[in-house]
Amino acid sequence: MRIAFKISMVSILVVDDEKIIRDGCTRILGKEGWAVQTANSGEDGLRLLQEEPFDLLLLDLKMPGLSGMEVLQRVRDLRPELLVVIITGYATVESAVEAMKAGAYDFVSKPFLPDQLRIVVRRALEKKALQREADLLRQERAKGLREIAGEKSKIKTIIHCMADGVLVTDHEGRVVLHNPALVRMLKMEISPPLGHALDDGLENDCWRGFVRRIRETTEGSTVSQEVVVGDLTLMAHIAPVRSEEGETLGSVTVLRDISMLKAIDRMKSDFVAMVSHELRAPLSSVEQQLSVILAGILGEVNNRQQEMLGRAKERTHALLALINDLLDLSKIEAGFVVQHKEPVQITEVLEKVVELLKPQAAAKNIALTLSLPEILPQVMMDRGNMEEVFINLVSNGIKYTPERGSVELFVRVQGSHLCAEVADNGMGISSEDLPRIFDKFYRVKNAQTRKITGTGLGLPIVKRIVEAHLGTVEVESQPGNGSKFRVYLPLEPSAKGGP
Amino acid sequence: MAAQVKVLLVDDDPDFVEATKAILETKPFEVIVAYDGKEGLEKARGEKPDVIILDVMMPPPDGYAVCSELKKDPKCRAIPILLLTAVMQALPHTLYTIDMGLRTEADDYIDKPVEPAELVRRVESLIAG
Repeated sequence: MRIAFKISMVSILVVDDEKIIRDGCTRILGKEGWAVQTANSGEDGLRLLQEEPFDLLLLDLKMPGLSGMEVLQRVRDLRPELLVVIITGYATVESAVEAMKAGAYDFVSKPFLPDQLRIVVRRALEKKALQREADLLRQERAKGLREIAGEKSKIKTIIHCMADGVLVTDHEGRVVLHNPALVRMLKMEISPPLGHALDDGLENDCWRGFVRRIRETTEGSTVSQEVVVGDLTLMAHIAPVRSEEGETLGSVTVLRDISMLKAIDRMKSDFVAMVSHELRAPLSSVEQQLSVILAGILGEVNNRQQEMLGRAKERTHALLALINDLLDLSKIEAGFVVQHKEPVQITEVLEKVVELLKPQAAAKNIALTLSLPEILPQVMMDRGNMEEVFINLVSNGIKYTPERGSVELFVRVQGSHLCAEVADNGMGISSEDLPRIFDKFYRVKNAQTRKITGTGLGLPIVKRIVEAHLGTVEVESQPGNGSKFRVYLPLEPSAKGGP
Repeated sequence: MAAQVKVLLVDDDPDFVEATKAILETKPFEVIVAYDGKEGLEKARGEKPDVIILDVMMPPPDGYAVCSELKKDPKCRAIPILLLTAVMQALPHTLYTIDMGLRTEADDYIDKPVEPAELVRRVESLIAG
């Protein structure tokens, strides 16, 4: 409080017709460091009050002309916040009480000792400081509320104007917030009503899967998925929202129109496919011709020729492998996959893959095993594509596992998904390489992998196919401790249908 | 093997045909060549080969079309067909063609380019089969 007095100089007005009181007050209060002005009549006092913002008024009740009570009433109208201390004689205590009822803060009786005056004035000033403090707080609170309201409308405006679609749902999948871009992208005729579940009345298969995803995105991290709505291709990023206690509150989905990107991507894929086809036929012939010469069919080949031609054949072979992968990928990127989706027992797929890769595993003395639970639900999939997924994962497992290692396949139902795992006990993948292994043409390069051939397209193909099935692939690996690849495929919802 | 074995090779790439023919002629095979699907169908019906080696990647009618046509033909149905698929077995992650091979009624399939010894083995086993 002391500090508050000193920030701005306290100014006090003394209104009394007695000079001795005015002088006494000036002297006593002046010693305290307060600025004191005086007036010898009520009229004079009121005039000064209008000119200067006094902090405190010391007012004599009994004056000729305008009485103290009258001045007090005017002051209440003029400066309602001004603190008034009444100066009164013994005989007029009653009128002092009356003055206090009329709004004076305190009184001091004449004659007074300097300390009495100081105590009364100080108390009044403290009260004033408290008042100011309270006012300040009130003002700040009002300003804060205004700012919050402003912030809210700012955020609302931003979300409203965003080119990306935004959708917020609660823990039961009910719509909490959305923006016009979302309504436009999803080609909805009316905005989805707040407080209702989203899947009502939507026919699109892809969209239904996506809505289910939104409801299921309660654990794990953000899920990204492509959604096709009419002629638009949208990229949906669905992020679960959790409270500090880890409780799921709902999800935030951001939709981006990637139709243009897809179109460009398709053109690129078409180009790659075209070039690859054109390259493959002649390369195939070259390798065939080399094979014929190397086999000695056209006459004897000496050792040096054999060696050089052998290397030439290895090179054409590697080139063909690359072209095949490029073609596969461009085919998948062009959307040729998932054309024959049918209910398939994944057991059949895995058994075929294991059968096919047994010789490869046997060549390295690797134990290739398949563990299946007795009953597994069927999953909608393109059989050929899914075989390709597991051929890739299993043959990778064999490639990157040293002799006498093991590659195991497990399948289980996990919540609303079927989880198929390919686990090897091979060289594993370092944490630097892990985030990039699904990138096109990325290959882990170290002393161990140098002799392993590959194109860096196997895993991107796996990822594409699994995503086209609305599934996800995840990998867990540590250098030297093997790798686990898990493929999650969504199970069909029960016939009853979810909420 | 009393009579000489007649092999029909259908492929639109002359270089590939020349090399493959050379492989087959290391054995007592008579090799007839067709350079597209249409010619392949004609020769299959006219020459009555003992085995047909049929490339899948040709301008229409492609190998799949020729294969299913021949398998529908009562007179040709019995002729074993070896499909030359475009994807290499050495890269086993592409089951695409294998699957296509199984979807068609071909008797066997082999990836192009082929190892000479392997081609001969496949053809011989088809004839013996």
